[in-house]
Amino acid sequence: MSLLEISDLHVSYAIARNRKVQAVKGASLAVERGASVGLVGESGCGKSTLAAAVLCLVKAERGLILYDGVNVPGLRGRELFKYRAKMQMVFQDPYGSLNPRLSVGSALEECLAVHAIGGRRERQARVAELLQTVGLERSHSARYPHEFSGGQRQRIGIARALAVNPEFIIADEPVSALDVSIQAQILNLLKDIQKNKNFSILFIAHDLAVVSYMCSRIYVMYLGEIMESGTTEDVYKHPAHPYTRALLAAVPDLDRARSVRGVKRPVLEGEMPSLLASIGGCPFHPRCPFARPVCRAEAPPVKDVAGGHFSRCHFAGEL
Amino acid sequence: MNTQTEQDKAKAGAAETLLSVNDLRVYFRTRTEPIRAVDGVSFSVANGETAALVGESGCGKSVTAMALSRLVPAPGYYAGGEIRFNGVDVLKLDLGELQKLRGAEISYVFQEPSSSLNPVFTIGYQIEEALRLHRRGLDVRDEAFRLLNTVGIADAKHRLRSYPHELSGGMQQRVMIAMALACRPKLLVADEPTTALDVTVQAQILDLLARLQHELGMAVLLITHNLGIVADVARRVNVMYAGRIIESGLTDEILSFPRHPYTRGLLAAVPRLGSNNKRLAGIPGTVPNPADLPAGCKFHPRCPMATDLCRRNEPGEEKVSETHGVKCHYWK
Repeated sequence: MSLLEISDLHVSYAIARNRKVQAVKGASLAVERGASVGLVGESGCGKSTLAAAVLCLVKAERGLILYDGVNVPGLRGRELFKYRAKMQMVFQDPYGSLNPRLSVGSALEECLAVHAIGGRRERQARVAELLQTVGLERSHSARYPHEFSGGQRQRIGIARALAVNPEFIIADEPVSALDVSIQAQILNLLKDIQKNKNFSILFIAHDLAVVSYMCSRIYVMYLGEIMESGTTEDVYKHPAHPYTRALLAAVPDLDRARSVRGVKRPVLEGEMPSLLASIGGCPFHPRCPFARPVCRAEAPPVKDVAGGHFSRCHFAGEL
Repeated sequence: MNTQTEQDKAKAGAAETLLSVNDLRVYFRTRTEPIRAVDGVSFSVANGETAALVGESGCGKSVTAMALSRLVPAPGYYAGGEIRFNGVDVLKLDLGELQKLRGAEISYVFQEPSSSLNPVFTIGYQIEEALRLHRRGLDVRDEAFRLLNTVGIADAKHRLRSYPHELSGGMQQRVMIAMALACRPKLLVADEPTTALDVTVQAQILDLLARLQHELGMAVLLITHNLGIVADVARRVNVMYAGRIIESGLTDEILSFPRHPYTRGLLAAVPRLGSNNKRLAGIPGTVPNPADLPAGCKFHPRCPMATDLCRRNEPGEEKVSETHGVKCHYWK
């Protein structure tokens, strides 16, 4: 049984009396113990909402979230508190997610104090150890967030997530605000720490190249639904959904550019429609280059293309 | 150096060079020593071509971009060098002449479209503003409509009356491009135009820039930290580090035969599809503080090949080929 198992999750936000936006529509996803799983999609596809539902930050409307066999939305009080110590988050914007008025040391100590880990001495020792784990120095604990660069702040964000020794980390676009050179450092750091501590990661990003570097399994999300899922290799070598293909084509690729520059690559036209728009049939059909009448009329079923490689497309396996 | 400047001047006179920057120095006054944000930068952009300026945050690439139309705010000042644009020396223009240059001849698109647009005016009003300033006697409403169409905004008539918050990030960036194009500039400086956007939208915007450049015949200076983007669009690449250009050449030369260890590091840092088993190399450490630069080669503290020579002497530019230059003692 998987450590985290989500099935048929629905999450919506009320935007007015009797009106709501359906941000997640029947998403299913599983993360094994110690695995790295990627969730990819454009801004507004519902990937962060899914993460928030897993952390009980928003209410799941329908569907199951099972963590280690326990129903997460049903957790209350003490139980919920304990669950959150196992499940930590690294945020996108290291500038916005650190309190500017807390020194790095006290920000890290706070996590330990909240979860009543160790005495004061031990906490300080643990802070020093955490800073070292993420490649910073012990002396940095007295400094404030503004004294650090973006990459260093993201290291602090990671140290904070590690403070309570979590079993599971959700990293929501942890490198998209950073320079490529720094991105590589942070991705490597996350990979190394994960290898040592053996926690699971749900890695959320819009860049398939970044996700494929980090993860062994990938879920592709569009308008609140999972369109394709499979091992990283299956997804990038044999994408079985036109949306995944479009995402792959959008990644700036050094190798491709060198060989076929000047050849226009297929660019996905338009933008993701508003969640308020009602789209019949396949949610991707208005932007899909392969759309046929059936795509407008009927929502596609999930098809298993090849052992454990799923696609929600009428023509999966035929494209 | 004198002879080199003269050579460059001769080149600048040639018809195809639109912009040539020679030994540009932009410093920032402080109570003690000035901070040398840009220290001896030379590069050129030909008419109608796309050139790229690549480097990490804090390497001086944005200051260089602003300097091109003398937009660097105080306490920054121009400590030396020259910027020749279309035959005139930008650093010697008076304010009136500068105003004719800014927006009309050289225009900009910045990273964060939501903070470059004014939230309290409509899109239409903001596009028309540039037209009213630089192109008198024109039906501005009509032209704004045409511009929105050019940048691929659907339902342009309706969108002219929209406010910035009603548009997505990608649409806002299209509006910024429409504004930048309003006066048919000869040079469009795009400073990290896609960094805040999704990869899919990024591909659209890069496509749009390439198409417009082709149609309008303008030159583009693309500023970015991602060499992957450069590969798709630029003809020439200048790699910048610590206020200097440390390697420059045609895109193919830079991508296929990078000579500087920094350029190699930048290339190795770009995640590639299907590389999940190989470790990303990246570059250790961070960009040095421009107020406290190391002696010798500025890259030596992060360089895997650094020797005593690198710690002592700063390398000058050497030619790898006619179009490819590098500043490294060990480029061979």
